Amino acid sequence: MRRAAIGVLGAILIVLLCADWIAPFGYQQQFREEVGAAPSRQHRLGTDALGRDRLSRLIYGGRISMVLAPLAALVAVTLALAAGLTAGYLGGWWERIVTTAMDLCLSLPWLFLLLVVRAMLPLNADPTASIVVTFALLGLLGWAGPSRVILAAVKRHLASDFVLAARSAGCPPWRIALVQVLPNLKPVAAAQFWVTAPAFLLSEANLGLLGLGVAEPAPSWGNLLREMENLSQVPGHPWVAAPLAALVMVVSCFQLAISTGGTEG
Amino acid sequence: MTNHGESGGFRRPFWRAALRRLLSLVLTVLLAAFLAAALVRVAPGFGMDERLLDPRLSDSSIRAIQAENAQEANLARYFGRYFSGLFRGELGQSVSFGEPVRDLIADRLGLTLRSVAAGVGWAWSAAAVVALALGLARRRGWDMAATALSGGLLCLPAAVIALLALYFGVGPGAAIAAILLPRILRYIQNITGAAAERPHVLAARARGIAGPALLLRHVWLPASAELLALAGVSVNMALGAAVPVEALCDSPGVGQLVWKAALARDLPVVVNVTILIAAITASANLVSDALCYSLGREA
Repeated sequence: MRRAAIGVLGAILIVLLCADWIAPFGYQQQFREEVGAAPSRQHRLGTDALGRDRLSRLIYGGRISMVLAPLAALVAVTLALAAGLTAGYLGGWWERIVTTAMDLCLSLPWLFLLLVVRAMLPLNADPTASIVVTFALLGLLGWAGPSRVILAAVKRHLASDFVLAARSAGCPPWRIALVQVLPNLKPVAAAQFWVTAPAFLLSEANLGLLGLGVAEPAPSWGNLLREMENLSQVPGHPWVAAPLAALVMVVSCFQLAISTGGTEG
Repeated sequence: MTNHGESGGFRRPFWRAALRRLLSLVLTVLLAAFLAAALVRVAPGFGMDERLLDPRLSDSSIRAIQAENAQEANLARYFGRYFSGLFRGELGQSVSFGEPVRDLIADRLGLTLRSVAAGVGWAWSAAAVVALALGLARRRGWDMAATALSGGLLCLPAAVIALLALYFGVGPGAAIAAILLPRILRYIQNITGAAAERPHVLAARARGIAGPALLLRHVWLPASAELLALAGVSVNMALGAAVPVEALCDSPGVGQLVWKAALARDLPVVVNVTILIAAITASANLVSDALCYSLGREA
């Protein structure tokens, strides 16, 4: 099951990375005679209120969400590794600072923090800036949860026999941290990545639906969901829900990958 | 808590730990306020005031607005004035709403607390009933169905659940409950699943104890510390969920207030709501910790 889920995720990622060849039109291209059109042979998912091909925007939007959310997760887990490893290894006042920062980040609902900081961008922000800021914020604010897990793992490893053996053999502290402890944190870090990436996808979707995600005209699965704001129209126009279907499928695959092996170690 | 049972050793460690947690709460709240104000200042767009673009304003009015903004821009001066006002019971004036922040929060806090309390209560009740039913039935098919259902809900963004709540005409409390339910259910299943594997539970089963007595006395009660910690965390989750729910369901609570304040870059409201939310979540964790102590367990 896990392999199938990872396979599906890989296939989706490859398709999205080939957006320039696969998407029938550019994401900004407008068809002014076909505004809000239903699906047709030319536009498989119809067009939006500005006459842009919905399928092309779904593919390009998926590329932004599916590439940048895992990248942001990678940033968050890397920060968590650095904070957890140094706090666990150095201990003392540094550990207290890191755990206080963790408690602080965890005591505030992070969607709230994201919302506050993201809202400070000018409303006419450049789309590229909005993409970078949205995902950079996710990466920078999402380190606390993984860091707590990694700190616990570092402490467990530091109390283990192999670290004691390395110490008694005269191994310098930096070498114990980098050569003995760090490689053993790989499974924990990988599990945290698999947990964090879908959480970031969903956070971007929340911000997008609130109008504070990636700015128009750049598409992302989050801002494409804004077409669903008037839910009463969805039963008559189910193709509007295509971004939600894609998001649910991808997050489900991440969940399957986690629940059937991603949390090993 | 190491010496809970020792004579005379209970109160001192308890109060020492409680005092430490209280200090930590105050520090967390202060840091949260400082972080919110600092983040707002480094964010692009800070200092932009749309009022300055109004051609009807005279030079003196523009200079007054600029002087007012300059006072807000200095973080140390801002906090100095803020705390001196706080001791007098003043939280400042909202820029975008034109009302005292204290009144804005007081008007809306009750609604948010009711929504959050309803959401947490319904989610916990439903999750506890489902987890108990699954624990009693011990059917793999039922477990898989519950996992699939909670997994499906977890795949939906909170904002989409808020829109669904709006569509079906249910209140913000129900939306918050729907957002919380799969998370709480998963955690409860993990906690009680691990507790059910402990030797004393296997021994109880071997002696013929089964049904609700086994689950409640031998699985849930020993796991009460973890469950209480989860209850504290669920308040944090509910407050986070309240922002998209109130913004999209047009519920005039604190979540909607912070949403509108953030869009209008209304610093006094943002900082005060940050302090409030940090204080509520830290207090919820403090209460859950105190309950753990009183039960004689630690998470």
